[in-house]
Amino acid sequence: MRRYHLVRRADSRIGRTIAFYAVGILVSLLIGAVILFALGINPLDYYGKMFTIGLVGNRYGYKSIEGFLKIFVPLLITSLALSLSFKMRFWNIGGEGEFLIGAITASVIAFNSEGMPNFVTVLLMCLAAMISSGIIGIAIAALKVRFNTNETLMTLMINYIMLYVIRYIGETKADWNFFLREDSERPKFGTFPDSAVMTGIPIGQFKLLWSVIIAVALTVIVYIYLKYTKQGYEISVVGDSSATAKYAGMSVGKIVLRTMFISSAMIGLAAALTVSASGTISDTVTNNVGWTGIIVAWLSKLSVPAVFITSILISVLQYGCQAAATQYPAIDINYADLLQGLILFSVLVADFAANFKIVKKEEAKNA
Amino acid sequence: MEYAIELKGITKSFGPVAANKNINLSLAKGEILALLGENGSGKTTLMNILSGIYMPDSGSIFIDGKKVSINSPEDSGKLGIGMVHQHFKLVERFTALENIRIGMRDAGRFMHGADVRKKIEDTAAKFGFEIDLDKVVSNMAVSEKQTLEILKVLCYGAKIIILDEPTAVLTVQEIDRLFDVLRKMREEGHSIIIITHKLNEVMAISDRVAVLRHGEYIDTVVTKETNEKALTELMVGRKIELNIDRPVMEKTHPLLEIRDLTIKNDEGAVAIDHINFYIRGGEMLGVAGIAGSGQKELCEAIAGLRKIEEGQMIHEGESIVGMSPKKILEHGISMSFIPEDRLGMGLAPSLSITDNMILKNYNESKGIFVDRKTAREEAQKVIDRLEVVTPSTETPVRRLSGGNVQKVLLGREIKSGPNVLITAYPVRGLDINSSYTIYNILNEQKKKGVGILFVGEDLDVMLALCDKIMVICHGRLQGVVNSNHTTKEELGLMMTGTINIVNKDGKTDGIAKDSAFTDEEGKA
Repeated sequence: MRRYHLVRRADSRIGRTIAFYAVGILVSLLIGAVILFALGINPLDYYGKMFTIGLVGNRYGYKSIEGFLKIFVPLLITSLALSLSFKMRFWNIGGEGEFLIGAITASVIAFNSEGMPNFVTVLLMCLAAMISSGIIGIAIAALKVRFNTNETLMTLMINYIMLYVIRYIGETKADWNFFLREDSERPKFGTFPDSAVMTGIPIGQFKLLWSVIIAVALTVIVYIYLKYTKQGYEISVVGDSSATAKYAGMSVGKIVLRTMFISSAMIGLAAALTVSASGTISDTVTNNVGWTGIIVAWLSKLSVPAVFITSILISVLQYGCQAAATQYPAIDINYADLLQGLILFSVLVADFAANFKIVKKEEAKNA
Repeated sequence: MEYAIELKGITKSFGPVAANKNINLSLAKGEILALLGENGSGKTTLMNILSGIYMPDSGSIFIDGKKVSINSPEDSGKLGIGMVHQHFKLVERFTALENIRIGMRDAGRFMHGADVRKKIEDTAAKFGFEIDLDKVVSNMAVSEKQTLEILKVLCYGAKIIILDEPTAVLTVQEIDRLFDVLRKMREEGHSIIIITHKLNEVMAISDRVAVLRHGEYIDTVVTKETNEKALTELMVGRKIELNIDRPVMEKTHPLLEIRDLTIKNDEGAVAIDHINFYIRGGEMLGVAGIAGSGQKELCEAIAGLRKIEEGQMIHEGESIVGMSPKKILEHGISMSFIPEDRLGMGLAPSLSITDNMILKNYNESKGIFVDRKTAREEAQKVIDRLEVVTPSTETPVRRLSGGNVQKVLLGREIKSGPNVLITAYPVRGLDINSSYTIYNILNEQKKKGVGILFVGEDLDVMLALCDKIMVICHGRLQGVVNSNHTTKEELGLMMTGTINIVNKDGKTDGIAKDSAFTDEEGKA
């Protein structure tokens, strides 16, 4: 006889959710601590370095913040873009592919920008990336609208296609291939000329890149767009029930195309800002934002302010793990990935536990 | 008395909602027990507990006097319980025989063994079923599918059969045939629970009636010792007037004329086949027909959501063929369709009442922003006027009860001041009280001179409410009859296509004598 079963909780209290999250993170940190301990590292020490992203006692603390922001900006913009399409129930899991397209087209301009003014180059890079990514997004949306293809499969495939395209570019020595360094025997991506490298506002030694300001501004814009504009309203209706949208006289196809264009173009923009900020391109340029962004969007329940906060937390986690790992010879970047996985998994379990409970079956009292 | 099933203290909650509260119910051997209750009273939940789909939070179940625990549909089947669900559980691409065979676990290795066929044929003969075992389910009519479902559970050796609203999809004649089968099963010693909320059927078929209200068990009464009025009171909890008003209005000029209309469904088959009719102001025209006879396609075509193949749709002397849904709405035709899941079309369930109010006119305000201030005022007006029970205008429609959802939908449609109101299944799934509120809303509109097309399910209601009733069968017009001069039986025969009275007296339907639009104009 089965005595226990799962029941959805009646109410969702924010306090309880936070408590469950805290417990979940604590448990994953404990598991991580056991591994650290086995490797002969003091876990408290390690975690201390991790959560301060290597700021404390570091002469080059501003470098840590810059490093953190380089992870944060693309993740934030990608998560916002994905939330936009998820809100419409369009399962765009092609963030990786859309990002790579943007990165490649932005790099085409960057590698050929010698001597151009910096502002013009970066602007052109952004525009090129947004248009190219947007076109791919709109193409997949068009297939969905016209032939009712499965957008999950289509966007998933784009990820692999673009991954192999960039690997091909990165591994093919040829006259046409201006992506690669000319002075290297082995194929190796070159670095952008100064004209294509993102500048910013210097604050002491620290440089606040323009990309950070753009990302924060985009957050505000997306928030207003979804909440107050007619187009945002249309996205909610289509996402809630496309039959209703059609019945209300909305042209669902047009809305899907438009939203997918905006979503993909934003991911393209994230890519352009990323390659410009790092001054080069590589096949790991996405840092998995296409995947992590999906987690951020869902953990935030597609709410824009929550996406902003979750993006900060996950970026702290990612950068902190890397920063701490570099200080211990016994562990490498893989441990950072492992710990990240543990924490994300336990947060998802905590989220489930906050919404469901296990109840015991009672016998009848009057039987 | 010997009991086939006894339920003691069954409780089942979904979150804060107790669907079943401490329910005690008994089913005697060889009896037909009707389970009566309004929507949301917990009938289906209780039966799902018996069939192993849900597990009770507390309480015990006794089968043939022995305490049992039902943890899965398989357990339920082994105990001899068979359930015929409201939405059939059949494999569309399989034949009748294959559908029965897949559930027979102990019948050898082969799908089409001779013994399997023999066993099924014997069972069918015993209960007087007429069924073609080699017919593919997707080619079957609704009543055939239901016969197959019942035969299926009998072949699995069920002694206790539960039928969840089996008559909802059947015509009057088919219901009679179903009841004959049920009586035969009772003679064979089977025990039957039938869920329905049609009182006349309860009186016709059951031995005893168990009544649930708001998840609680109220009473079990012997059918012979009760009447429809007493049952209604048990069900609703207080006295209620069962008469539906039908104000007689001065009929004005024809508002909507449909001539020779042909429409295809999503699969490309003809759904509506050369139909003619018209609606005048101050008149309510009912549309009767078996589920899936083209009602949905007709409504969608008039609202501009579906392309038509042939024919004309004329609104106040102007053709609306090829107009966008928005344009048609501006013309004064408003359509509200309540689909089977109730929320799928017409409302966006996760959005607030406010946001649902502006669904059709959000684009009329200036600028890029949605005008929520006006919307909130309109939502408040609808809430006040139709007495919608809701915490606020910002509550998601999904959280409202069925009656309130439908009030919001109708409220929005009426708000735009249409002169033709098309409403399909407006009381679908509503309890008696909410249904009457909806009838009143419709009658009020009629008094204002609005022409109403009422697509309905319940013939009793349509006879009481509508001025005229148009019957369609497989998309063909079977005739338009005056509610005062027809009977349920006649309508039933028309619905199955047995009687066709179109052009009986040499008069053409669909072209009103004083039409402002001649046929020639339409062709030009």
